Amino acid sequence: MSPYVTMILISSLGLGTTITFTSSSWLMAWMGLEINTLAITPLMVKQHHPRATEATTKYFLTQATASGLLLFATLNNAWMTGEWNTMELSNNLSAPMITMALALKMGVAPMHFWLPEVLQGLPLLTGLILSTWQKLAPFTLLYMTSHELNTTTMTILGLTSTIIGGLGGLNQTQLRKVLAYSSIAHLGWMVIIIQYSKTLALLNLLLYITMTSTAFLTLMTLSATKINTLSTKWAKTPIATMTAMLALLALGGLPPLTGFMPKWLILQELTKQNLPALATLMALSALLSLFFYLRLCHTMTLTISPNTNNNMITWRKKPGQKALPLAMLSIMTLMALPTTPTMMAIMN
Amino acid sequence: MIYFVFVVLMGLVVGLMAVASNPAPYFAALGLVFSAVVGCGFLVGYGGSFLSLVLFLIYLGGMLVVFAYSAALAAEPYPESWGSWSVFLYILVYLFGFLLVGYYCYGWWYDFYWMSLDVFGEMSVLSGDVSGVPMVYSSGGFLLLVTGWVLLLALFVVLEITRGLSRGALRAV
Repeated sequence: MSPYVTMILISSLGLGTTITFTSSSWLMAWMGLEINTLAITPLMVKQHHPRATEATTKYFLTQATASGLLLFATLNNAWMTGEWNTMELSNNLSAPMITMALALKMGVAPMHFWLPEVLQGLPLLTGLILSTWQKLAPFTLLYMTSHELNTTTMTILGLTSTIIGGLGGLNQTQLRKVLAYSSIAHLGWMVIIIQYSKTLALLNLLLYITMTSTAFLTLMTLSATKINTLSTKWAKTPIATMTAMLALLALGGLPPLTGFMPKWLILQELTKQNLPALATLMALSALLSLFFYLRLCHTMTLTISPNTNNNMITWRKKPGQKALPLAMLSIMTLMALPTTPTMMAIMN
Repeated sequence: MIYFVFVVLMGLVVGLMAVASNPAPYFAALGLVFSAVVGCGFLVGYGGSFLSLVLFLIYLGGMLVVFAYSAALAAEPYPESWGSWSVFLYILVYLFGFLLVGYYCYGWWYDFYWMSLDVFGEMSVLSGDVSGVPMVYSSGGFLLLVTGWVLLLALFVVLEITRGLSRGALRAV
C-alpha cells in the first residue's frame, strides 16, 4: 500500500479516537467511532488474501451494527429528553442499548463472538492496533456514561466476560485466538469495576494495553503464530522468550509483575463495596486465563521441545528490526508494580 | 393528514419487514426502495418537504444505484421471496414482534412528542428543516472539515479495498 494512503489511514485512526475523546455530544462520539471503523478496514485487508478479507468483512459488519445501535439509542434519548450531551444520559430505553452497543464494539461477552475469528485473520501488527487502539474510543464512552448504566447488566457482562475469556482460551492452539480471549477476559475486569471506580478501570485499560502490546510485539519479533512454532523460538532470541514468559505471567496477573496491580486493586475495591462473592468469582475465573498463559510459557521457555533446530542463536538483532518499543513495553510490563501509588495518583 | 401519516408508517413497517425477511437481494432492495419512498412521505407529512426531497435524491438516487450494481453481481437464478414458506415464517415472527411492541406502546409512548417542522410556515423565511443546512456551514465549522476529510478518507478506503485496476472487488478469488 502506498505510504501516502497508509499515512492518511493512520492519521484518520488518530482523528477518530480524538474526536470521540473530545466529544460532548453523542453525534460527534458516534462520528469518531465510525471514522475509526472506516480507517482500519483497508489496514486489515492489506494483504488481500481470503482469510483477511473474511476477517475484515466480519469486523466491519459487527462494528457497523454496534455504531448503528449506538446512533439509534442516542437518537431515542435526544427525542425523548432533548439531551445530546454524553454525560447526561437519563435512564430510559437508551441506556441499556448503549451498554450493548459499546459491549459489541469492544468485544465484551456475550457479544464477543467476532473477536477471535477477526483477530485470527489479521497479521500481528494489525491485530495489535485492533486490540489496543480500537478499545480506547468505546471505553471512553463507557467511562463517561457508566454512572447511568444498569448495575446488574454491567456486573453480568463483566463476570460473563472473564469466565468466557478464561474458558474459551483453554482449547486454543492459535496464538492470536489466545490473545483474543485474553482481551475478552481483561475487558471483563474493566467493565465490572467501572461502575465502582472509574480510575481503576482506566488503570486496567492502560496496563492491559501495555501488556498486550508486549505480547503482540514479542510474537512479531519471534514471528510465531501457533503454539507449535512457539516451541522452537527459544533459539531465535532467547532473551525475547524469557521476557515473553514473564510478560505472559504478567497478563495472568501474578505478583511481582505489573499485571498484579489492576487485579489486586479491583479485588480490593470490590471487597470494599461489600461484594466478596463477586470478587471471589472474578479471582477464580482469572485462574482459567492463567492456565493458558502458563501453557504458552511452558512450551516457549520452560521446556525445550525434542526437535532439532535449524538455526543458530542470533547474536545481533536483524537490521531494520525495531527493538525499542518492545524493550520499553517489556520493562513497563515486568517492573511497574512498585509504582502503584503513583499510578493511582495519576489516574485520579 | 393523520390518516396519511398512519398509512405511510404502516407502509414503512411492511417495507422494512420485506427488507429483513427476503433472502435474495433483489426483493430486499425493492423493500428498501419502498421504505425510503414512504419515509420521504412521512417527512412530508410533518412539514419537512426540503429534507424529504434531499433524502429522496441522495438515498434513493445514490445508494440504490450502488445496490443495483451489487445485486446484479450477486444474481440468483431462482430468488426466494414472499412466495415460499420459509420466508413466510420470518414474516410471521416479525409481525408477532411488531404486534407485541405495538400493543405495549400504543397510545402513550411519547406519541404527542412529534412536532411539525414548519409551524410558522407562512410567517418565517426559514422552516425547521431548511435552517439545518446552512448551520453546517456557519456554527458547525469543525464538523464540516471533519465531514470533508471523512469523504476523502472513504474514497481512499474504497479504492484501497477494491484495488481499482487490478482486481476491482472485495472477494479475493
